[in-house]
Amino acid sequence: MATTTTLDSVLTGLAQDRATGSLRIGRAGTIFLTRGRVSYAECTGTPGVEELLTASGRISAGAVRKARQAATGESDPPSGGDRLVDAGVLTKGELEFCVLGATLDASYFLLGPALATSGARPGPKPRFKDGERHWLGTHWFFDVPGLFQECRRRKARLDRAWPSSELDTQPVIPVRRIPGRHVVLSALQWEVLLGADTTATPAELARRLGRPAYSTLLAVRELGAAGLLATGADPADQAAPPKPALPKRAERSGPRAELRPGPGSDPAQPYLPQVSADPTDVKLLIRLRDALEALQ
Amino acid sequence: MIGIEDCLSEAMTIPGALDAILVDHTSGMAVAAEGVSYPEGSAAGLSEAFRATLDGLALSTPDGTIRIEDVIVTTDRAYHLIKPMETMFDGPLLICLRLDPDRANLALALRRLQAISHRLIAS
Repeated sequence: MATTTTLDSVLTGLAQDRATGSLRIGRAGTIFLTRGRVSYAECTGTPGVEELLTASGRISAGAVRKARQAATGESDPPSGGDRLVDAGVLTKGELEFCVLGATLDASYFLLGPALATSGARPGPKPRFKDGERHWLGTHWFFDVPGLFQECRRRKARLDRAWPSSELDTQPVIPVRRIPGRHVVLSALQWEVLLGADTTATPAELARRLGRPAYSTLLAVRELGAAGLLATGADPADQAAPPKPALPKRAERSGPRAELRPGPGSDPAQPYLPQVSADPTDVKLLIRLRDALEALQ
Repeated sequence: MIGIEDCLSEAMTIPGALDAILVDHTSGMAVAAEGVSYPEGSAAGLSEAFRATLDGLALSTPDGTIRIEDVIVTTDRAYHLIKPMETMFDGPLLICLRLDPDRANLALALRRLQAISHRLIAS
């Protein structure tokens, strides 16, 4: 394990060398560095600045292509991004925020595997091309540890919304009837519900809506937590190993559930006893009721 | 036309400004900050405060949809201003300013913040 070059060790190394260039991570995407800091990232699973711009209706796909060709044709500044700003397509602040948002979105999915597993699944070997820059130019920076930190924070944010990754890759299917009388939706949640055609996954919806994949994922998990999406199982069950349909009495004799969490148990688990349709339990309850009635 | 960093330094020139922070509301991330001692915590707290305001007011409004221009909170120690800025693809982006009530003029601060947000994001 120590011999494999993980993505985070490669990136940390490049940051220490204050490298400028592009780091290609297999087919998943590319991270661009400027003097050791991440200035842009693109990922095949997330919409890039080009797609965000065209989806917002500010600029046509053809105009983006032309700006790109003009920027890659010349070796000197102005960069492609500066050209777009000069042409009045977007403001400097918008360009910076666009680059920042697209970079964070792509990084979350590019660096996510490196964060989740401690080298369990070595991804494709990253290839560094010295000196290569993105056509948009450099408009915002992230230092490498900060970027990893932000990805970790985003992961935690997702898990806080809904602690199961079940919905992340499944088609988004809204429930036909809501569990309450009214709901409050954010703008993106509305778009997700409207765009959900029971076949599109969150990633496909993000692309269709021209929204960042992470934000769409978060909206989907929030909708799931609000009970507005059809889900296979309760998120609490996902973490635990699959349970048999009907628990057998012989497996756990004695009290069925602990009323208080033990020292090692998960504090997130409710300490209410589990409910089952086990006939032994039902009989016990009937006997208890009879006994209580007899007391009166 | 200004960039993200300039927008914060301009916000800090508003009379009475104590600190300023730019927050990505969707993820609760601190995009940039000036004078804030713990940007991550502030960003998380401010984006929660904004979310709670949005949800709470949406429920208390007859038609159920709202669009917040500014959130103004006055506490015993400071004025807190939160201004959402719609961005073209995600967001909103929140510009949050904390002001010293003895030195600040709330109306002036609101106008200045409005002008800054228009120069940062043309919409």
